[in-house]
Order: sequence, then C-alpha cells, then structure tokens
Amino acid sequence: MILFAHGLVARSDLPIPQWLFGWAAAMVLLVSFVALAVLWPEPKLQQEHWKPAHGALSRVLTSRPLEIVCGAIGAALLVLVVYAGLRGTQSSTANFTPTFIYVIFWLGLVPLSVLFGDVFRAFNPWRAIGRGVGWIAARVARGGLPAPLAYPERLGHWPAVVGIFLFAVMELVASDGDQPDTLAVATLLYSAITFVAMALYGVETWIARGEAFSVYFNLFSRVSPVEVRNGVLGLRRPLSGLAALKPGAGTVPLLAVMIGSVSFDGAAEAPIWTGIAPDIARFFQDLGLSPQRALELTFLLGLIAAILLVYGFYRLGVLGAKSVGGGFSADRLAREFVHTLVPIALVYVAAHYFTLLLFQGQALGYLASDPLGDGSNLFGTADSQIDYTLIGANGTWYWQVGFIVTGHVAGLTLAHDRALALYDQARLAVRSQYWMLAVMVGFTSLALWLLSQANA
Amino acid sequence: MSTAQRIALIVAAVVVAIVAFVVAGSGGDDEPQRSSATTSAQTDTGKDSGEPQATTETSPPEPAVTQIQIRDGAVVGGAKTIDVVRGDTVRIVVSANAPDDIHLHGYDIERSVEPGRPARFRFKADAEGAFEIESHVAEDAGRDPLVARLVVSPS
Repeated sequence: MILFAHGLVARSDLPIPQWLFGWAAAMVLLVSFVALAVLWPEPKLQQEHWKPAHGALSRVLTSRPLEIVCGAIGAALLVLVVYAGLRGTQSSTANFTPTFIYVIFWLGLVPLSVLFGDVFRAFNPWRAIGRGVGWIAARVARGGLPAPLAYPERLGHWPAVVGIFLFAVMELVASDGDQPDTLAVATLLYSAITFVAMALYGVETWIARGEAFSVYFNLFSRVSPVEVRNGVLGLRRPLSGLAALKPGAGTVPLLAVMIGSVSFDGAAEAPIWTGIAPDIARFFQDLGLSPQRALELTFLLGLIAAILLVYGFYRLGVLGAKSVGGGFSADRLAREFVHTLVPIALVYVAAHYFTLLLFQGQALGYLASDPLGDGSNLFGTADSQIDYTLIGANGTWYWQVGFIVTGHVAGLTLAHDRALALYDQARLAVRSQYWMLAVMVGFTSLALWLLSQANA
Repeated sequence: MSTAQRIALIVAAVVVAIVAFVVAGSGGDDEPQRSSATTSAQTDTGKDSGEPQATTETSPPEPAVTQIQIRDGAVVGGAKTIDVVRGDTVRIVVSANAPDDIHLHGYDIERSVEPGRPARFRFKADAEGAFEIESHVAEDAGRDPLVARLVVSPS
C-alpha cells in the first residue's frame, strides 16, 4: 500500500538493520543511566540567561528594512504557492506548490528554527500582511482602530492543534492532498481564517497562540540559543527556551498530534499497518463507501489512533509521576513536563524526513526555474536533477539513530531539570524522574522501532 | 541522589555497554552470510523467470533478469520486491497486454510497453534506498499503480 500524498517521495529509506537497532537501544539505556548519575543537583535551565548580542550583525538582522524585506518575501511566496497551484500543471512533482509546502516549508524550516531561532516569524506571510494592513488601516481610520478582543484562555493552543491535525490529514490521509490545486485552495482557506482571527484577536496574539505554523515552528525554535526579544537579538542557554514555554489549554494535545502524526506516517509502511489496513478499508467498502473514501477513512482512523496512543502513553507517565506524591494534579504535571516532548517531536521529524528534505529539497533547483511546470526556465536551472547518491543507506541510518539518541538525552535533561525545580523534596524529584525517564525510553524505543519497520 | 547511588548507576551503564558489545559481537558474525543469501535469492529470480543464463565458470555472469507481467491492469502475482546491492547492474523486463508507461522513480527511467513489446530496463544501481516502479495508466485510472519495488542495499 502506498501513501497518497507521498507522490513526492521517489526514494524511501531502508529499515535500520537489526544490529544497529540493538546498538541504538543499548545506547539509549546507557545514556539514561549515565544521565541519572551525572546530571546536576540544582535546576539550571529554568532561567534562560538571555544576553543581548551587541554589534553590527545584530542591528542589521533586527532592522526595520530587513523586517519589511523578509515579510515581503514571505508574502510573495504565498502568492506564488497559490498561483502555481491553480494555474500550473497538476502533476504534483512538476508543480512548485506541493514540494514547496510539504518539503521546503514544512520540513526545511525545522532545521532553520533549531539553528537560528524563530526564522518563520520573520518570513510569516500572514503576520507580514496582517501588520501591513493594520498599519494602513490605522492611518486611514484617524480615530484609531478598535482594540482587539481578549483572547479566550480556554482556547489556548487548540486552534493550532486543529491546524496541525488538518495539515497531517492533508499530507497523510487525503488522496488528493498532493494535488497542486487542492493545496492552493487549502492555502487560500487557511489564509482567510487566519486574517479573520487576526482581525478579531490582534496580529501578534493570534501568531503567538492560534496560528498553527507559527506555534509549530516557535516550539522548535525554543531549542535554539538564538532569540529576538523586544527587537533585540540575543543568546540564551540551549534548551532553556523550552523550559520557558508557557503551556496552556491544548499544548499537550498539540505535542501528541505532532509526535502521533509522524509515528503514523512511519507505521503506515510497517507490516503492522499494511496487514490490517486493507481489511478495515474493505469493511468500509462493504458499508457502501467508494474504495477511495474507504481507504481515506481507514487512514484517518489510523492517524487518530496513533495520536491517541501517544497522548495516552504520556498521560500514563504523568499518572506515574503523580503517584510519587507532591500534591500536584495530573493536569498540572502534564503541562509542567510537556516541553520535554518538544525535542522528542523534533527528532521524530528529523529521523523520518531528513532524507526527504535532502533529496526532494533539491527539486527546488528545477521547480524555481519552472514553477508552473510549463517548460519555462527562469534561472537556467530547469534541467537540474536530484542526486540520489548524496547519502547512502549506512550514512542515513547513523544520522537517524544519532538524532533519536540526541533527542532522548535532551528530553530527559529537561525533565530532570523541571523535576528539580518543581518538587521541594529531592527524594520526590528523583522518583518522579523515573517515570518521566520511562516516558522518554518509551518514545525513543517507538522511534527506533518505526525506523526498523520502514518499508520492511 | 547519594554518591553510592551515582556510582551504582555508572556501574550499571558499564554493564549495559559490555552486554551490548558481547551480544552485538556474536550477532555481527552472520552479517556476511546474510548478504550472500541476498545474492543467491537474486540469482534465483533469474532462474524463475526462465531466462537462459550464461553460466560459464570463467566469464562474469550476466545480471539476473526480473520478469514482471501486467495482465488486464494487474501485476501477475502482485507487486514484488527486487533486492539488489549497490553497484549491481539491474535488468527488469515488464510485459503487458495493454499499452502502458512504466516509471522507475528516483532513477527516473521511463519506458513504454505495448502488447508483444515489453519495456526493458537495464541500469547500474548506484543510489541506495527503496524505489517504486509504477504504472502511469493505473495511476491515471485511480488504481494502485505499484508494479514492483526496487530495494538497493549497501554493498
């Protein structure tokens, strides 16, 4: 069975071999023991120790003209995505739009966020257009614009949960999710919703709380030591940005959607899913659905099941941590530790998609010159090709395992630090850690298992 | 956490490392056998297809040919996996009783097939990974387009 929206995937990874699987699992246990033994006895990451970086580079990077240029580039790319999707060829590989959305934007911004901070904030087309319109509207309406509505706390990150989930449905479930015109229409719809929400709650509030991609990339940018604060570029301790995350309603489900959707994409190639999916699809077909709709419904249920499993497993760990005492509610603990799942989500994406970014990302070479797929050659690169020999299977496996083990270390480091800050008794902190460590080992083992099952 | 506990954990970590080394060391020996098994399976593919093979001991053998038949839009026997090692010369012959375009993704080789005129692929497998061979006619008709999967393992 092949995944629908994976019309873009010309080459898939080979499953990691058994010996490497064993080694990686041993590594995970090893670093867990070592970490428990050597980690610091006082919290170190709860304060970010952010320091402004002075100098010309910092001033240039945060200057108003550059801000306007970046926003304009983002807005132009948004227009190009919609235009190419509607007017260009409807072949998903020859059109600019599917590769740009699923590979360059969705995957490419992840490493950029981790290395350089919240890059998407600078290029976010919705933020740029929203601010531009707001600026003009404030000039036109001389009396000033009415104040935006107060953002309902109960909403929290829920709009982002819905947004990221629907994106995953487009990518992994919808049979025409890689169609250029479908993607263009979805982009238009999402833009319209975003502009209405920005008008209601204010541009910056919606960007910080509700706009799915801003929230998503901002989570990953918190791994980075680079942060712009009040218009000043500065450096902080790596990972400390995650400890400073203020979780609200929906933050835990958001992480469950992020980890669960990647897990489902990995498991969908595994025998455990390819064995049962046709039977489920046949059941829906017997109920009167068309074969295509039956398959979509099957995959939708699989995606939801994967997300609920991830959520349930985390809640289980939280209930364990609650059982050691300290008087915290399960909801409180779930939020206090949710930032530890961000490195896990990050390495799930890195391990599963880095070859897709590495190879399909090269398609930008010819797609930039011929975005509509009509034979034009704007920059003279329309004949460039993807070099599939860039990295072999062995290199891929080592990178994948390296990502997973690094994420494991980062996650349990954050959990350790938070436990020290949260519990006033060192004994309770240590015992709660065992539970969070079990959660980390569980997610890491799942990640390794998925890699060993890919295309098996 | 007391110093004694910390030392105990470090000892546990060392034990895990030693056990892993021993287990991996004994398990690693069968690696060469596994890869030779792949090679023999691949030669079998050639024999199954009934293609006469040059089996003279001295000259290098012709690469095995994988035969795939598409009848009435369906792959006879279902889509199979073709296992090769990087550097191998791969030969695939696809025959069909209706016109079709057969596309090997990644290597990006496309061949048309007509009744009585099979599509012949012959290329050197220089990129590792799993690649799909698809039928464009099935894809356009909304059917499962998978004809076969080519798996290129490291040599």
